[in-house]
Amino acid sequence: MFRRNKILSVKRLLLIPVLLLVVLAISGCLGAGTRSLGWSGVAVSGGDLFFGSMDGKLIALDSSSGNPRWQVSLEGSAEGGIGCAAPAAGVGIYGTPLVAGDLVFVSAYNGRLYAINADSGALRWVYPHEGNLEPIAGGPALAGDKVYFGSFDGKVYALNVATGEKEWQFETGDEIWSTPVVDGDRLYIGSFDNKLYALDTEDGSQVWTFEADGAFVSMPLVYNGTVYVGSFDRYFYALNAADGSLLWSFPASDEEQSRPGSWFWASAVAYNNAIYAPCLDGWVYVLDAESGLKITEFDLGSPVAASPVLAGSYIVVAAEDGRLHIIDGDSNEIRPLTDLALKVVAPLVASEGIVYVHTQEDETVYALDPEARLVVWSFTLQ
Amino acid sequence: MDIGAIWDLIALNPMINSMVWLSSILFGSFGLTIIALTLVVRGLMYPLTIKQLHATRAMQALQPKMAELKKKHAKDKQKLGQEQMKLYKESGVSPAGCLLPMLIQMPIWIALYMAIIRVLAVTPEDFLNLSQRLYDLPVLYSILPLENQFLWMDLSRPDFFLALLVGGTMWLQQKMVTPVATDPKQQAQGRMMLIMMPLMFTFFSITFPSGLALYWVASAIITIGIQYFVAGWGSLKPTIEGISRLFRREEKYTRRIAEAEKVPAEVAVEADIVPEDIEQEEVLPDARGGDKRQDRERGYPDRLRTARRRPRRGRGRRPKRR
Repeated sequence: MFRRNKILSVKRLLLIPVLLLVVLAISGCLGAGTRSLGWSGVAVSGGDLFFGSMDGKLIALDSSSGNPRWQVSLEGSAEGGIGCAAPAAGVGIYGTPLVAGDLVFVSAYNGRLYAINADSGALRWVYPHEGNLEPIAGGPALAGDKVYFGSFDGKVYALNVATGEKEWQFETGDEIWSTPVVDGDRLYIGSFDNKLYALDTEDGSQVWTFEADGAFVSMPLVYNGTVYVGSFDRYFYALNAADGSLLWSFPASDEEQSRPGSWFWASAVAYNNAIYAPCLDGWVYVLDAESGLKITEFDLGSPVAASPVLAGSYIVVAAEDGRLHIIDGDSNEIRPLTDLALKVVAPLVASEGIVYVHTQEDETVYALDPEARLVVWSFTLQ
Repeated sequence: MDIGAIWDLIALNPMINSMVWLSSILFGSFGLTIIALTLVVRGLMYPLTIKQLHATRAMQALQPKMAELKKKHAKDKQKLGQEQMKLYKESGVSPAGCLLPMLIQMPIWIALYMAIIRVLAVTPEDFLNLSQRLYDLPVLYSILPLENQFLWMDLSRPDFFLALLVGGTMWLQQKMVTPVATDPKQQAQGRMMLIMMPLMFTFFSITFPSGLALYWVASAIITIGIQYFVAGWGSLKPTIEGISRLFRREEKYTRRIAEAEKVPAEVAVEADIVPEDIEQEEVLPDARGGDKRQDRERGYPDRLRTARRRPRRGRGRRPKRR
């Protein structure tokens, strides 16, 4: 009798943690998606194609066939936990890799920048040489003998391409998620401190800053001496590249049309004196590069987080729900390209008339021909 | 519209937007926002919490009678059920009284918990998804991302000290409402429950972002406060009394030490309290002045002899027991 009671009470006690786990799973974890997976774009160089997979690998494919050449695993973060709310153990790769000469540069969420041999996948150097920085969500940029990137620690780093030694660093007021852009001797990068910075590429000194009411995450676009960039305050800005003065701003929210607008997350594309600015509200705004007046707009019906790409005279845009569209830059007419029916957040890349898309669901890389509107090849990760 | 979308529309999104808006008036600090929103939601839920606490107390008060009934009708389950229902009816207690307020509060707590996870946006993916939940208010778009640094903590990462605080406050909260069981079996179960819950939450807090742990601590402290105002310290009373006794004892010792140190001074003060006419009498030619030790009270006038306190040393001591 005593034994039976004991078993019953043990069972009852075991129920408590089980119930708690169920409650936590239902309340906190379902759909939270709190693992850092990454949304690396694709880098194309010669006959090779490089991208960061969502399980923390840098993968090289043959760009003509999509056959894998090599893959290397980047070290995972030491942090981890039982819950879905805990930081993930794998390393996320959010920045698009960059190819320069025989090296591929890839930044990772574990706070490290890797220089990897493009032919063999062998590691040339890693920065920092020991330990790691705060996470890196943006990609690297290259100019001359330096490679640049920003980190969650709010700093912009310039490293020597050959050795990986730090040349200079510049501290902003908050986290940096943006990928820098280099134009001539200027580097442009946005920060969570609501500022866009223009730095001297040689020594990292500040040339000018522009402050908005929201953070900057998207990669700036430099076109005809003007810097174009969108912010979290739902405004798209055109700034004079020389001194950072505001030329015009365009609001995504429209009270007349009861349109709330949203963050500008993806970077813009320029063609034929028009700026194509995608927004998380699901619209692509086509603006006059000089005046900022709206030429036209397209509703994609789903947020646009993936940066569009220019392929010839076509602007290829991907909505988050996997529907791809082609905007004819000459006529500003839109037509569907394909419906992948998979989540697309990674920036699109074009090379020699082929557009490459890396999906975040059923992780697949597609090579699409926008002219013929067909899938040339696809590579799905096992 | 599926159930997830309905949930988002009526519970989760309002909670997320309230949180982000609140942070805009709390200097963008996510830590302050968590505490403030927990306080606000707790305040709104106060009538239900009170109802639940009263019902729980009433149920606890019935436990001895229930135990008696169980003993009496151990073999007749049907009769036991009838008698239990009768007891509930007679005492005006409804078992649903405990459950109903809790069930109504549960979705709100879950929404608050989920909102914290989403606004914390531990990964870039979470942060990107957050934009889809915001209402059309400029301040909501501009204030994000929120400041995750609060006191010494990065709220997006686990914090060991806060995890310990979660365990401690949860134990206190549990201890207050755990009834003192007379049955040893129930006692053991109660003890296990008392340790199990805080331990589990401490473990979760070590692995989850500390923003959640902050919510658990704030929530537990508020609950302790409410429980105290409704039912006092409950089962925590002996512990509290023990601690206060310990403090009192310490205070007593301190007072005694202080008194002991004061003694010579007091004696001096006593000696200084001399009636005005003493001086006159002391100068009388036949009076014996000077050595008070030899005087044995004879040096004082009669009226002062009665007023004089007994000497402290020597004679005041009790004889030793042998």
